[in-house]
Amino acid sequence: MFALMLLQAAPDDAVIREMERLQRNFTFLNSGLWVAWLILVVYVLMMVSRERKLRREIDGLRAMLEERPRS
Amino acid sequence: MRSKILTIIAVAAILLLARDIYLITGFPPERNQGAIFKIIFFHVPMAITALTCALVAFTASILFLATKNFKFDALAVAVTEVGLAFLAGNLITGSIWGRVAWGVWWAWDARLTSALVCWLLYAGYLMLRNAIEEPTQRATFAAVFSIFAFMDVPIVIFSIKWWRTQHPQPVFWGGGSFPPDWTAVFGWQMLAILLVGIVFTAVRLRQEQFQREIDSLRREAHAL
Repeated sequence: MFALMLLQAAPDDAVIREMERLQRNFTFLNSGLWVAWLILVVYVLMMVSRERKLRREIDGLRAMLEERPRS
Repeated sequence: MRSKILTIIAVAAILLLARDIYLITGFPPERNQGAIFKIIFFHVPMAITALTCALVAFTASILFLATKNFKFDALAVAVTEVGLAFLAGNLITGSIWGRVAWGVWWAWDARLTSALVCWLLYAGYLMLRNAIEEPTQRATFAAVFSIFAFMDVPIVIFSIKWWRTQHPQPVFWGGGSFPPDWTAVFGWQMLAILLVGIVFTAVRLRQEQFQREIDSLRREAHAL
C-alpha cells in the first residue's frame, strides 16, 4: 500500500521539482537581463551627467574670457 | 547632420532590441539548460562588442603614436570606456549563467580569469589617464598602455581552445548549432548591441571634443 502511494507520489514530486527548476531558471534569467540593462542605463546616466558638467565648464570659461578684456 | 545620423542609429538600435526581446521571450527553453540559456543573446553580443572596442582602441592608439593626432587619442578613450561597460555586462551575465549551470557564481578558469584581467587592464587605462595632467604625456602613456592591454584580448578569445576550461565552447565555429530562427535573431541582436556601442562611442567622442575645448579655453585664460 505504502509502495503504491510512493509510486503515485513520485511523478508529482518530479513534476514539482522540474517546475521549481524552471522557475529558478527564469528568475536567474530575469535577474541577468535586469543587470545587463542596469549597467547600460547607469552608463548612459553617467554620460549625460558628464556632458552637462562639461557644457557648464565651457560656458563658465567662455563667460570668464569675455569678461576679462573688459576689466 | 551628425547628431541626426546618431539619433537615427539610436532609434534603430532601440527598435531592434525591442523586437529581439519580444522574439527571444517567445522561444522555448533550451532542452538541457532551460530558460537561462537565452542569456546567450546578451552575453555573447556584449563580449563581441567589448572586444571590438578593444581592437578599435588598439588601432587608434597605434595611429596616435604614429601621427600624434589627438583625434585618435579621443577615439581610443571613447571606445575603451564603452568596451569596459559592455565587458562588465558580459562578465555579470556570464556569472549569473554560471550560478545556474555550474552551481557557482565564479570559477577561476582561463576564459573567465583572462576576461576579468582584460576588464582590470582597461579600467587601469582609464585610471592612468585621470592621473596624468599634461595632455600629450597623458595620450602617449595611455596609447602605450592600451597596446599592452590589447595583448590580453587574443588570450581571452583563444583561452577556450588553448586550455581545458569550464567555459563552454562557442556555439558557432565550435561544433554547436542554433535552430535557424534563433541564428537569425542572434544576428540581429548582435547588430543591435553593436549599434548601441556605436552610439555610446559617438556620444563619448563628442565629450572628448568638449574636453579638448575646455583645455584650450583654459590655456587661453592662463595666457591672458
